[in-house]
Parts: sequence; C-alpha cells; structure tokens
Amino acid sequence: MRDLVIVTRLMMKEKRDILLSIFLGFIAGLATVLLFSASGYLISKAALQPPFYTLMILIASVKLLSFIRAFSRYGERFVSHRGTFTMLSNLRMTFYQKLEPLAPGIFNKYRSGDLLARIVGDVESLQNFFLRVVYPPIVLGLVFLSTIFFTCFYSIHIAIILFIGLLLTAVVIPAIFAIRQQTINSQVRDERAKLSTEVTEFLYGFRDLKIYQQMDNKRNQLLETSNTYIMEQEHEGINTLYNQSINNFVSLLVTWSVLAVGAYLIGQGQLDGVLLAMLVMLSITVFEDVSPMAVFPIHFNDSRRAANRLFSIVEKKDKKMVESSLFQQIVTAPTINMKGVSYTFLNEGRPAVHEVDLQLSAGSKTAIVGPSGSGKSTILQLLLKLVTTDTGKLSMNNTNFDQIQQESIWEAASVVLQENHFFYGTIRDNLQLANDGVTENEMHAMLKKVQLDHFDLDSHVFEKGENLSGGEKQRLAIARAMLKRGCFWLLDEPTSSLDAVTEQIVYNHLFQQAADDTVVLISHRLTGMERMDQIIVMDQGRVVEKGTFTELMDKRGYFYEMKELERNLL
Amino acid sequence: MRDVKEFLNSKKFSMIYLLVFAFITGGAIIGQAYLLVSIIDGVFLDDLTFREILPLLGGLLIILFVRTMFTYLSGRVGVRLGANAKRYFRYILLANYTENPVQASLKGQAGQKVSVTMDATDEIDSYFSQYIPQVIRSSIIPVMILIVVFTQHVNTGLIMLITFPFIPLFMVIIGMQTKKKSEEQMEKLAVFSGRFLDTLQGLVTLKLFGKAKQQKEAIQQSSLGFRDATMDILKVAFASSFMLELISMLAIGIIALEVALQLIIFDGISFFTAFYVLVLAPEFFTALRELGTAFHNGRSSMGAIRKIEEELVDGPAVHWGDKPIPKTDIPVKLELINAGFQYGEDQFALRQINTSFSPITKNAIVGKTGSGKTTLLHMIAGIIPTHGGGIAIDGVPLTKYKEEDWFHRLSYISQDPYIFSGTITDNIAIGSNHQQPTKQEIEEAAEQAGISDTIASFEHGYDTVVGEGGRGLSGGEKQRLALARAFLKQPSIVLFDEPTVGLDLKTERILQSSIEKLARTATIITVAHRLHTIKDADKILFLDDGMLIAEGTHEQLVQTVPGYRTMVSVQRGGKAE
Repeated sequence: MRDLVIVTRLMMKEKRDILLSIFLGFIAGLATVLLFSASGYLISKAALQPPFYTLMILIASVKLLSFIRAFSRYGERFVSHRGTFTMLSNLRMTFYQKLEPLAPGIFNKYRSGDLLARIVGDVESLQNFFLRVVYPPIVLGLVFLSTIFFTCFYSIHIAIILFIGLLLTAVVIPAIFAIRQQTINSQVRDERAKLSTEVTEFLYGFRDLKIYQQMDNKRNQLLETSNTYIMEQEHEGINTLYNQSINNFVSLLVTWSVLAVGAYLIGQGQLDGVLLAMLVMLSITVFEDVSPMAVFPIHFNDSRRAANRLFSIVEKKDKKMVESSLFQQIVTAPTINMKGVSYTFLNEGRPAVHEVDLQLSAGSKTAIVGPSGSGKSTILQLLLKLVTTDTGKLSMNNTNFDQIQQESIWEAASVVLQENHFFYGTIRDNLQLANDGVTENEMHAMLKKVQLDHFDLDSHVFEKGENLSGGEKQRLAIARAMLKRGCFWLLDEPTSSLDAVTEQIVYNHLFQQAADDTVVLISHRLTGMERMDQIIVMDQGRVVEKGTFTELMDKRGYFYEMKELERNLL
Repeated sequence: MRDVKEFLNSKKFSMIYLLVFAFITGGAIIGQAYLLVSIIDGVFLDDLTFREILPLLGGLLIILFVRTMFTYLSGRVGVRLGANAKRYFRYILLANYTENPVQASLKGQAGQKVSVTMDATDEIDSYFSQYIPQVIRSSIIPVMILIVVFTQHVNTGLIMLITFPFIPLFMVIIGMQTKKKSEEQMEKLAVFSGRFLDTLQGLVTLKLFGKAKQQKEAIQQSSLGFRDATMDILKVAFASSFMLELISMLAIGIIALEVALQLIIFDGISFFTAFYVLVLAPEFFTALRELGTAFHNGRSSMGAIRKIEEELVDGPAVHWGDKPIPKTDIPVKLELINAGFQYGEDQFALRQINTSFSPITKNAIVGKTGSGKTTLLHMIAGIIPTHGGGIAIDGVPLTKYKEEDWFHRLSYISQDPYIFSGTITDNIAIGSNHQQPTKQEIEEAAEQAGISDTIASFEHGYDTVVGEGGRGLSGGEKQRLALARAFLKQPSIVLFDEPTVGLDLKTERILQSSIEKLARTATIITVAHRLHTIKDADKILFLDDGMLIAEGTHEQLVQTVPGYRTMVSVQRGGKAE
C-alpha cells in the first residue's frame, strides 16, 4: 500500500487533469441518468395530455442532455488519458532517479536479463491505476449520490433501495470476488511460469530430446502443463463472468424492487403514478455504470503488485556502495593492488573469483587469459567497483577501494565491455557520450583509426546497435573508449569479432595512445601477448600462472598448453 | 484461417448453444421490457392495485433471472470455446515442431517460437471467448427487437432501420482512420516506447561515461513524445465512440420525440406502446455497440492466429519403419548414397554425398564455416531427412528400421549440449536406454567423463538442480556432462561436434581421452576443429559449399588437395572467425 501512496502522490501532480476528468465523468454520468429519467417522465406526461409547452421543454432538454453526455464523455476520455500518460512520464522519471544511483550494482545482484523489461512493463501497467482504479469509483460515487439525492425529493424509500443497491454492487460483491480471485490469479501465474520453462526447454533442447528419445514424453508433459494452465485461465474467466453476472442480477433486482415498491406506494397514494416510469428508467441507467466495479479488484491488485515490485527494487541499498567514500580525481596512471580477493555472485555457491592476488603498477600492461567462466570478467567488474569484494584487499594508489567513490574510478577509466550498449540515435551521439568537448575532426579521425570510416557521423544507430555487426560494435566501442582519454584502460575481449589484420591495426593505435597508462586486457585469444608486461592465467576463479610471455612459454605450464591448443585449432 | 474454420466445425455444438442462448436472451430482453411496461402502465393508468400486479412482478423476476442466467451461460460457452481453441492451437504447434525437428531449433528462432507458443496462443482467446459469442448475439438480438418494434409501432421501426446502418458504417470508417493514423505514428511510437528500456539497459554504459544524470530529461521528453503520439491515435478512437454514441442517442431522442408527438397530438398510439418501444430502443443500440468493442478484440486475436499459422511450415520429416536393428557386438557399417539435403528454395544445400564409414573407425569431417559439416552430422543422425539418396546401415536403408533402435545405438555430443532443468542425476540418466539407471551406473559414467569431482564439489552433489532456473554450468562442464550421458549409453556410433573455441585444459584432455575410450567400441564421426583429431582420423571428409570435395587420410589429402593443404597449414591461432 505504501508504494501505491508514492504513485498517488506522483499522480496528484496532474491535479488539473484529474479534477477535469472527474468533473467531466460526473457530468456525463449525470446527463445519462437525467436523459433516461427525463424520457421516462416525458412519455408518462405525454399520456396525460399536458399543455404542449411542457412537452416542448422536456423534449428540448432530452436533446440537450444527449449532446452534453456525448461531449463530456469525449472530454473525459481525452483528459483522463492525457493525464495518465503525463503521470507515466513522471513515474518513469522518478523511478529512474531512484534507480540511477543504485546501478550498476543492482544489475549484478539480480543478474537476470529480463529485470529491465519487467521494470518497463510494471511502469506501463501502472497506467491502469488512474484510469481504472482511482477515478471510476469517485465518478461512480458522485453520480450515485447525486441521483440518490435527486430521488429523495420524490420518494425516500426508493432512495434507500438505490443506496443499498450501490453498497451491494459497488462494494460488497466486488470485495467477495476479490478474495476468491486472488488465489486463482496466483495459480494462473504459477502455471504460466511452469509452462514457459517447459516450452523453452522443448524448443531449445530439441536435438537432444530427439536423440535421447524424450520427445514424446516431453511433448505430453508439455501438453499436460498447458492443459492445467488453460484450465486455470478458464477457471479465472468463469469466476470473472460469474461475478459480473451476479452483479448484473443484483442491479436488475434493485430496479425490480424500485418498480415493486413504487407500485405499492402508488397504490397507497404516497407516490404520483406519473413518476414511476422515470424512477424505473433512472434505476436501470444508474446501475449500468456499476459494471466496471466488477473488474476493479483485478486492476487494483495488479497496480499494487506492480508498484510493490518496482519500489522493492530501488529500496534495497547496497551498504558498501553508499558508505562515505570520497571523490578523488585520478589524473595519472593508477597503481592497483589486489590481495586475496574473493567474490561470489548472489545465489551462486561457488565463488566467481577465489583468493586472487594481482599487482598492476602504474603504466603497466596486463593481460588476463583463461577459459570461459574462469572469472576474468569478474576481476574487471571488481576493478571498476561495479561489484565489491567479499573478502580480501583491493586498493588503488594505496587507498582502499572502500574509500574511493565509484565515480572517481569511472571518470579515469576507458572501458570496453564484452557487451557494449549503444543508444538509439547517430554515431555522433554515441561517440559524444565519451566526451562532450570532442570535435567533429577528432571523431572523424578516430573512426578512421578503428577502420570505421565508411560510417558518417550522422549514420543511424538503432536500439542496442542492432544495425551494426559484432565487429562494428566492438570498433565503435573502442573508438568511444579512446575518445574518453582515460588513464586506466579496462578491455574485456574487445576484438573477439575482428579479423587478425584489423585487430592488429586497432591495437596499434590503442596501445600507442595508452603508452603511459595502466592497461588491463582480458583476452580469449593468445595472440599479441608478447607486448604485455605480465600475463595472468586464470582457471575456475583462481590465478594459476602469471609472468611474461617468454617466462610462461619457457615454463611449459598451463599457458603453454593453451597456446598449443590454440595453435591446433582449425 | 483454415484452422479456425476446422476448429469451429468441430465445435458445432457450442455454436448451436450460443445461438439458442442468444435467442433466449433476446426473448428475455423483450419479455422484460414488456412486463416492465405492463406493470407501470397498469399502476399508472389503469389504477391496478398492488395485489393485481403481483403476478406480473413475479413474472418479471423470473425473466430477469432467465436473462442473467443465459447471458452467463453464453459467456461460459465462450470461455470454454476460448480454452479449447488455445488447447487446439498449442497442440497443432507442438505437433508441427515435433515433426520438423532440427530446422526449427537450428535456425536460432527458438526464442520467437517460445513467444508464439506462449503469448500468441494466449491472445487467441478473446476471438473465441468474446468476439464470436458477441457476433452471434449482435446478429440475433437486434433483429428480434426490431421485429417486435415493427409489430408495435412501424414508425419507430423505420427510425431504427434507417439509423442503425450508420453504426457499422462509422465503425468501418473510423477503424480505417485509426489504422492509418497508427501506421503513420508506428515508427515514432516504437522509438518513444523503447527509449526508457534503452536507457535502463544502457545505464552501466551511461554511468561509466558519467552521463547518467543527464538522461532524466531525455526520458521525460520521450515519454511526453509518446504521450502526444498516442493521444493522436486515441483522439480518433475517442471521436469514433463519440460519433457512435451520438448516433444512438440521437436515434433514441428521435424515437422519444416521435412517440411523444404520436401520443398527444395524433393520439395514434397508447402509452403502453410508446413506453414499450422507448424501453426497447436502448437495448437495440447497446447490442450493436457492443459488437464494436468485440470487433476490436477480435482483430488483435486474428493477428495472433495469423502469426501461428505462419509458424506452421510443412517440412518433410523422417519417416521410420518398424524393422528392429539386429543386436550385435560389432557396430554397423554406415553408407551414404547420393544423400543430399536442402533447407529451402535457394538456400544452402548439401549435395549428393557418397561415402561410407566402416565399423570402429575414427572419421573426421572438416571444412570452412558454412560448408555443411553440422548439417551432414544431423543427416547421419537421422534427425533431418535426406532429400534424394539415402543412408544405409549394413546395406539396408536406415529408414526401414525402428527409430527407437537407431537412437539407442547413437550418441550425439554437440558443441552446446542442452542441460534440462532438473538434477544432475536426471541430466545424466537421460542418456540411458532403459528407464531407470542405477545410482552406481550414473556415478560411473560421471567418473569416466571426469566430472565426478566437480559434482562432488557442489553443495547438493548429484541432486544439484541445473538448467533453467538452476545453477549455471560452464561450457566445459556441459561438455563433460554430455560425455557422461554417452558413457551411460555405450553407443556403437558417436557423433561429435567438436567445440570451435578452446575449453579449459581439463575438459580438453578429458574430451580427447574419452573419445579414445568410446572409439574402442564405436564408430566415431567428428566435425573436427582440432588438428590432432584430424591427424588421428582413419578417414577425413573434406567439405566445401555443401559438396564432398575429397576424402582420405590426412597425409593423402595434404598431398593431393590444395584447398585442404591451405586450410590446415594456416595456423589459425592468430586468425579470427
């Protein structure tokens, strides 16, 4: 609930649109009720041969009401949607503001690719909060209260019946339904998750299933899960339907009671017969708007869940990250010391990095090599303070990492990750990210250096650089890193998609620029290792060897064997 | 849409139910109006006493119940129909995937197929649960009302008849408008709506470049842009409901005016008739308007159905016979006679391969990327069919034999073995030819594949849950797990797709020694990337662009085939893919 309060507070920023939608909704609802009551009254009056002018007034007001109704409905829809989308924009901004200081630590914690998509989805689903949760009951309540107030002038009994009807259809029945729906909902979600896993397995593990003769088993199992899932959905659908039908029936029952009591009162002489048609029409119409209340609990729960999930992500703060650390400008190539450092990812039993010692002197060039999953990239994340050590000591220029602000490391670092993000826009936009002051000429020159001069600075880049090949992305990332002119280079397999010739050219430029800087290069391939000051060989999170290229080759150990293996790869 | 028709044909009973329920509901609506008006008329003009109208009130109560009841029942049939449709389409999809095995999973479309099987299938629902029942209701109930109105008061009937075509007309016009509008805005919308996700995904990059704070404005701008573009489309949609509302409201207004005038000036009709048609008129227009909403839902469902039908490609499958493969200790002799395979028109093809693999030999397939090595391996495995020619084992066409017997004798170790969600025990046991291998058998297999130490280091040992939702395994561990499956199976043919990248040294050594071990009792066919595998092979097939260029031992090929010579002599160490 607390989270919905945050959302509500954000919503209230758009007061004007909210009040306007409520006002217009109220007018539209009231106009509908009046319209139908008036036509009921009109027809009754007509039967009594009234003076013609009364009839003309009635007819005119019926016409007027139908116009008012149509126009205010249009306005209501327009304003409420405009308001909702503005609220969503505010919500995105607020959420981003909260998330921004926590990234990237938060992504490492979850390590799940769909976390972001879920965030986006949750924000989006909150649009129903205003449209279907907040204002319909307000409008409904206002219309009802006015109608009941109006009815009081004619018959207090009927007003009471309407009031009871309102309580039943808008509060009691939806509440009972909400309780029942909650369990079904969670079952549907569970079954869906289960089915999704099984479908994924079925399609990705196809070949193995076929060869291991498990295809039919798996398919049957899958169909069974699908059946259960569909049955739960069916259950949910029928439950919703049941609730709507009950609600409808109760509304009809209220109208029936109005009719019966009205007829009785007329018999008793307590009500004028000419009013009965009007009251019955009024009751029919006013209860037509109650039907959205049947789905109110569904939307309410959805909104609550979305808000909870969203804000639970940004509430968890990483203690180590927010501890008082200082920003210090790093202008010259740093010295790094790592002693007995271990790190284990959340929910993983085995440490990704285990008791690693590492010395990077200022201006040195270090390569980290090893098979996939040996912990190379984790070292890089530790060096960037994207994750913090579980145990061991890590210092830069003899200052403990705990006391250094992430931002100060990032400011000094030129980084190329395995997966580099490019934004929707142009090549220029993506390069300028590195450095606001960079000139057109510098960018052109840099594109040439990384062999990307077939691109224009205005060339389009799609989301996540989807229109670029793997090699182009890597070169663009290198160009961006070089434009940043950091003195601490962290490169994670930056050239894995490049051919040997291009790789050579790009590395020559890079190492020329980085001559005086501290460089850490993670590499899958073992070429060009001769130019490095030291090579760290990792396997299963541990450092198994370190030394220069000649030292390691002479040693004929792990590195030598890897080199042999690579030589033999076709 | 062929499948939709087929499905609906099989559901004739449901359609009949829907039809009958719609008639009953229509009757109830008319009856409800009739009784309501009779009661009011009786009390208001005929001065009936409360006691006198009691039977009418009772009748009305029953009718109200009937109306609710049958609306509910009709909805229920719809929900059932939707559920059955989802079941039907998911079944068709899965059956199709099962019959066309490898093509599907190999083309890297598995992700899209998952989304079709899950989301597109779920989306079908509203077409059957809402659209179809609503179409039936909307085509019956208004007609019934119209007939009753005509019997009561012809003028009102005429007004209805003249005004109602405007409703579908406006729906069509406006539907086209929205479509055009949304197509125009599509690109804009896609950009705006993706921006938030794009920024979140790039947050690490932004922070590393110290640009994260500035993005707030960009998010706001794109959000507001999204709002404006969406509002442009919504405006048209709202205008459409505005028009529809106005039309029905005006029509009802005209009817009210007409009957009122008739009532007092011309004295042409009774209060009863006037009120009766006035109560029926909104019901008439509501039934029509509801069709509009259902139509909208139906259309997105249709899109989903089309997506599913596009997925269903009729690929030729392997058809197996029922001849058992004789159980002997000696592995079979494999022959490929003019065997070829084509992925599709104008696409990559494997052309007329003629070769044979003698029992207990080591064979290597080499060639550049895209030369058809893996396709050849799939063909030999019998998971894709041969287009022309065929495969024979000991002289008999492979497809004459039982599928089961063949796969029992075969192991396939791919570059990226699939790890199923389950325990390590489950994942090894899948290799077994009988249902439940003993614990000891599994542990022995793991031992032979050199993974037992690694498993022992896990907290839950053999009960560790791996795969989707479980612990991740490294590439080397997956390879060793696949080897364990092979050791459990003890196959007479081993197909092995050698990893293209270097694994950890331990796995590399285990792979080599394991293949040696398996080679003692089996024919090995390897798509080879390692020089020692090639040098070690009794026979090498050299493929280029789907054709078998040459075969022989390493020495023979080096001497006679220039293409082969360049390939193996270039030390690939420095060259990238």
